[in-house]
Amino acid sequence: MTPAHLGAKRDLLSVVLDTLVPPSAEFPESGALALEHVLAIAGASSEAGALLAEALRAVEEAGDARGFASRDVAEREDLLRRVERSHPEAFDALVRHTYDGFYSHPATIRRLGLEPGPVQPRGHRIESATLPDLGRVSARGPIYRPA
Amino acid sequence: MQGTDVLVIGAGASGAAVAWRLATAGIGVLCLEQGDWVDARAYPHWQADWELHRYTDWSPEPNVRRLPQDYPVNDQASVIAPLMYNAVGGSTIHWSAHFPRFRPSDFRVRSLDGVADDWPIDYATLEPYFDLNDRMMGVAGLTGDPAYPPKSPRQTPPIPLDTLGVTIAGGFERLGWHWWPSDSAILTRDYDGRRACVNCGPCDLGCPIGAKASTDVTYWPKALAAGARLITRARVREITLGPDGLADGVVYYDGEGREHAQRARAVVLAANGIGTPRLLLNSCSTRFPDGLANRSGLVGRNLMFHPYAMARGVFDRPLGGHRGPIGCSIISQEFYETDLSRGFVRGYSFQVARGLSPISSANGGSVGDRVPWGRAHRRAYDERFDRTITVAVIGEDLPEPDNRVDLDPTLRDSSGIPAPRVTYRLGENSRRMLDHGIARAGEVLRAAGARDVAANPLLRAGGWHLMGTARMGQDPATSVVDGEGRCHDVPNLYIVDGSVMVTCAGVNPTSTIQAVALYVADGMIRRRA
Repeated sequence: MTPAHLGAKRDLLSVVLDTLVPPSAEFPESGALALEHVLAIAGASSEAGALLAEALRAVEEAGDARGFASRDVAEREDLLRRVERSHPEAFDALVRHTYDGFYSHPATIRRLGLEPGPVQPRGHRIESATLPDLGRVSARGPIYRPA
Repeated sequence: MQGTDVLVIGAGASGAAVAWRLATAGIGVLCLEQGDWVDARAYPHWQADWELHRYTDWSPEPNVRRLPQDYPVNDQASVIAPLMYNAVGGSTIHWSAHFPRFRPSDFRVRSLDGVADDWPIDYATLEPYFDLNDRMMGVAGLTGDPAYPPKSPRQTPPIPLDTLGVTIAGGFERLGWHWWPSDSAILTRDYDGRRACVNCGPCDLGCPIGAKASTDVTYWPKALAAGARLITRARVREITLGPDGLADGVVYYDGEGREHAQRARAVVLAANGIGTPRLLLNSCSTRFPDGLANRSGLVGRNLMFHPYAMARGVFDRPLGGHRGPIGCSIISQEFYETDLSRGFVRGYSFQVARGLSPISSANGGSVGDRVPWGRAHRRAYDERFDRTITVAVIGEDLPEPDNRVDLDPTLRDSSGIPAPRVTYRLGENSRRMLDHGIARAGEVLRAAGARDVAANPLLRAGGWHLMGTARMGQDPATSVVDGEGRCHDVPNLYIVDGSVMVTCAGVNPTSTIQAVALYVADGMIRRRA
């Protein structure tokens, strides 16, 4: 499998990503939010693409005749743990790019309580700039050695 | 090409300072910089996916970033990866702008503690240059820190601590330890034509509004106004010598790969603690077969990083850690001066940074313990996000000759120039120091209310500070430059970057590097007069 073939495996990749970052009540869109990012990375970097392709191929092989997507969550996790052990570098790249894609997605950012989008020019407002009392620290006197 | 009085190689922290100082004294200055100006609109902060750029084209690692102006560094034999940025402003483009000074004892390590060497200059000599540099860069902070001799007023009030900073300050208070708001080269009020920080967060990706003091917005506009010239996308291959044995210029490649010879009456190296020895070692001649100004054999040796260990505490409430400058909040120097009962000589600082952004939280930040994938993921992530405080232990590294920069036998940059190779192991004293710091950092995090503490014993991607590879000293047999930055072997060749540092202290070096650069520049001016 080459990076170009990853796109043809979108459905499988989507299920893998959902297994890595499963849905929850607060986050109904699961890891598949990262799908476009993972595919983009695979297309942009031959090095990353090769690793991602290797990871997906290993998942396919581990899934054998029953396949990966047809299994329940516990079985899918077991299969992924086998791939994690057998292809550590490729699996590491898969998880990293999945997290990158998921946690940069506007829907995720919003659910984390942050405002999605550029951080400039808006910046952030800091509620209070009050400094704690430094009297105790000052009262110790110099703590440097004169030289 | 027309000659110049002084040719400066590198437009970063020290190169900008020396160029400005010389130009304002009426000396002709030409600076060659292999990078380019960074367009304020090109920073990732204006894009929704800004955080992704931290791991790609805005990575601090040149081996990850791989931009045309970068050169590769073979760091396979180093436990710390060197970080740098190649542009007008140099690594001040991506620095976090911590701005502590070295302390008086840092210049007298041999006399006080019997290790390493004393500097040929001292704190009192540099103090006026610290003050001048503070005014040029603009420092947010608070005077009265008992860890230092009295300082001149800071240019703006300190960076706000916010909930996170107040929380960890409570830990230091409960333990009775020193802490103080960090001196930061980030404006909290408009100053000197620059805008105040809006607390957007990712200073490590640059500052698109100029609130952070990168030298492209501090020194360079003033240096150019004073008559200095700056050529960007100019990569120096070697420094050339005249028949008298003095430096007479350089050979460089422009952005299109064309070769040029540039003549100069004096040359100033400001290419950082890896780039400078690389260039000297690439400048061989019959007079200097082992590299220019290298009769001592010390060019490239005694490389010091600041080894960082990281401790992270998880708290039960949101801390607002995404607000405010990412690297700056609080410094503690409780364990800075030597106390041999701790099992090591010299000491370290604590630096408290802000919280982690969403992607960084998932990948474990500087501790590196990624949130587990699978059904445990959501709960584990939510327990961490916006609920962590990271305390960095920045230890004083001791100079060791086997920690070094030399030339890689095969690796080349895109111009065909031999690339640097870095060999670095963590010394035993540093290891004991970091272990002590991790334990104490855990104490302060727990005192502040953390319920869970994890640590990274050595941050690999932590080679921000590149020092010691062309050390300063009075004896030509044991140093590369003299007490005024002149190479012993080539007296019109100067070095002003972190390479000249004899020891590295337990704080960030940029304030001291720039003060030394201004001091060296004043010596050049004095001798010319």
